[in-house]
Amino acid sequence: MNNLDQLFIVSLSGLAIVIIIGLFLPRQATWLAKLSPLLYVGQLLLLIKMASLVYIDAGSASEIQSSFHLHLLGEPLQWRFDALSWFFAIITVVAALFAALFMSGVWGEDYRKKTSANAYTMLHLGLLLNVNSMLLLLASGDFISLFIGWEFVSWASFFMMVLNPQKVARQAAMKYLMYAMTGAMALLAAMAYIYDISGSLQYDIVRLSMSHLSSEQIIPLVILFVVGFAIKMGVIPFHLWQAVAYAETPAPGAIFMGAISARMGLYAIIVVLFQLISMDNFAYIHIPYTFWNVQSVLAWIGALTTIIPTYIALKQNDARHLLAWHGVGQGGYMLLGLVIADNVGSAGGLLHVFNHATYQAALFMTVAAVMYRTGTSNFDKLGGLVSQMPLTFMVMVFSIIGLAGLPPMNGFVSKWMVYRSLLLDGQPLLFVAAVIGTLGTILSVYKLVHNTFLGQLRVEHQEIKEAPLTMLIPMLLLALIIFVTGVMPGLILDWIVPVQAAIGLPPLDYHLGGIILPTGGLDMIWLTLILFYGFAVGAVIFYLIGGRAKHVHQYDNYAGGHFLTAKVRYHYSHNFYAGLMHLIGGWYRGSFVRLEKAIVSLVSFLSQLAENFYRANQPTMLVVAVVVMAIWGIAVGRFG
Amino acid sequence: MNTLNNIPVQADNNKRTNPLATVFDEFIQFCQSRSLFMLHYCTGCGAIELPPAMTSRFDMERLGIQPMVTPRQADILLVTGYVSVKTLKRVILTYEQMQSPKYVIGICSCTVNGGMYWQSYATAKVLNEYLPVDVYIAGCMPRPEAVISGLRRLMANIEQGKGNAWQDYYQRYDYYLGNQQHLFGDDWQTPTDVIGEAKYYELEAEQTYGKHTDILAQHQQPLEAQTMQIKF
Repeated sequence: MNNLDQLFIVSLSGLAIVIIIGLFLPRQATWLAKLSPLLYVGQLLLLIKMASLVYIDAGSASEIQSSFHLHLLGEPLQWRFDALSWFFAIITVVAALFAALFMSGVWGEDYRKKTSANAYTMLHLGLLLNVNSMLLLLASGDFISLFIGWEFVSWASFFMMVLNPQKVARQAAMKYLMYAMTGAMALLAAMAYIYDISGSLQYDIVRLSMSHLSSEQIIPLVILFVVGFAIKMGVIPFHLWQAVAYAETPAPGAIFMGAISARMGLYAIIVVLFQLISMDNFAYIHIPYTFWNVQSVLAWIGALTTIIPTYIALKQNDARHLLAWHGVGQGGYMLLGLVIADNVGSAGGLLHVFNHATYQAALFMTVAAVMYRTGTSNFDKLGGLVSQMPLTFMVMVFSIIGLAGLPPMNGFVSKWMVYRSLLLDGQPLLFVAAVIGTLGTILSVYKLVHNTFLGQLRVEHQEIKEAPLTMLIPMLLLALIIFVTGVMPGLILDWIVPVQAAIGLPPLDYHLGGIILPTGGLDMIWLTLILFYGFAVGAVIFYLIGGRAKHVHQYDNYAGGHFLTAKVRYHYSHNFYAGLMHLIGGWYRGSFVRLEKAIVSLVSFLSQLAENFYRANQPTMLVVAVVVMAIWGIAVGRFG
Repeated sequence: MNTLNNIPVQADNNKRTNPLATVFDEFIQFCQSRSLFMLHYCTGCGAIELPPAMTSRFDMERLGIQPMVTPRQADILLVTGYVSVKTLKRVILTYEQMQSPKYVIGICSCTVNGGMYWQSYATAKVLNEYLPVDVYIAGCMPRPEAVISGLRRLMANIEQGKGNAWQDYYQRYDYYLGNQQHLFGDDWQTPTDVIGEAKYYELEAEQTYGKHTDILAQHQQPLEAQTMQIKF
């Protein structure tokens, strides 16, 4: 029994423990709450034992095979871990560990009081189910096990989404299910096509047969796979389901799913497009009647995914929805970096998976802490919380610097690498698109931090306290990770270079502080030192030479000579970017929403039509059907 | 407050022993006089003369004077016309929010003596009863040349160390507060703790306190700044 088997056993036994305690020992559920992080610590330790997958030395295997095998339709099913699986798995387990830490303290108590002990157990169960199914997907070694894992992941996400009983959450979950089923059908069709071409669903055999496919065969295959996986990732034009569904799940679910759940789509895209069909081919496969090739189409899909959801996030008036929309938008950078498929860009895309998981989890935690204290995440009802919750504010500032991609936090490194590869690759238009996406990110994270923490404190929030320690500790730990991996990205690039080797990309030259390029690399340690030197100069001027700052009350403020009182709210948060919306507001046309509605009504119209025909004129329709079938049969028999 | 005391008639009293003794003070005054930020708080019709004075034709900015949107960063408060009682409350609030050293310029005859509104029940006639005014620029309305001439006069005063009217507000606070209370009623108060600031600048004088500050002390509720603190 090797480490991978142990990982599955630990993971599944965690599930069994939660189910048994939830069903038979409901009084012990409080202990379950306290000890639930241990379920993930065990998995994390086993993953660390498997770290030889990425810290490669002589004699270490590039793959760990699971010992159990199944056979289906004469095809062996296998599960295995390689560097790519390990990279995604460790992010998954660490994200789940932080979500469980967050859930095991005061937040969980509060949730149990507000709902029920049963609902709280279900939340634990949902998190475990998600982790289990993701590990199963990440370990998949052929298309059947990939499909099984894929379906488990979809249903586990759905399970998590419906834990919120509100109507908006239930509707979003149903919508997700429709999308996920569409994706699964596309995936199934692609698998059938693959089976038709290569006669097997084993990766090795498929990889061989992929190398001599014509472009007429590859293009539909790529379309089917990308549709199947991009739906999970929320890539344009399938971005509509994700944000509401993730934002409305209970906080630990939002933390976990916002951090990693959607990236399973990216994992599957990497497996299929990089490991099976080499990305090198795509630059030479032209789309008929256009000047595009498959690679540039994928890159532009990534670029549009950075722009459109980010600017939708800019218009959100609820902190959770704003963050969830960013989760969709940041996926575009990952896809964009990977599709460029050079050593810098692909490493940037993969690094962004890790970085995004860290700051997105931290951001959802801060919003959950604010919601715990104030009861709302609506921007119109918040403001000025920095004096009451300074540590939460600090975590949010660290995380939004990461999200906006500014130094010295980790988001900067990965975004810099994506930009750099776009420039080196000679793609100025894609570069501009990525920068436009970042501009929208900066604007909306400023909106987030301003409307929550800066500005005027409301009267009803004068007495609130800092977030409790059980929420603060995971938040501060994540903030530390965000900073440390920003200053020393080499720590994570250690994992990424083996992943690049595993998916057949050229490896990146790097060191602890950044990356090495012939045309000028990046050294975050120096950059951070210079940045802090600047801060130090500013601090000397402000505190030592100046030192005459005077603190005034928030009502002793200039508002055109107006006398401010508690009755007059002077916090500008509603319709925050009115001036910007005056310029770009006309471009928000809801085209995708209308397209979605049109498809929905078309399908329901056709189904009603069919139903009406069938019900109204059953004998006639039966005769027509028989006649058509007969004619078709005769035609095939005669001419076929 | 161009009183006789400010006119240097006894120049030989402050005889310089060391020529470098006041060089830093003079340098700071020189710099201050050439970097004046002017608050946009324009009342009345005199404001219409400021756009030409600020923009390319007369171009105040060549003198180092430019507009500023908040009182915290501004040096000059321009009162450009008649001041109704309601406006005066806002002018005083804004003036007290400015940081010292700060200067007030009264433009137009209305600020000097009420001008064409001298019969009005609702206007404050003489501005320097409520605020210490550094320079008056009379006229109805004064042309941009006159405005710039007045500003140069202020610059010259600052450079010579005579632009000290702001100190008068702390030293004779009771007098100004009395006039304000006479107009607005005894329950008048602003968020700024003027007496605290007088102590901070070490400008407390005999006339800082009086019966009007006593009235204020009876109902004044100080606004304590919110401090950032970690409470669990």
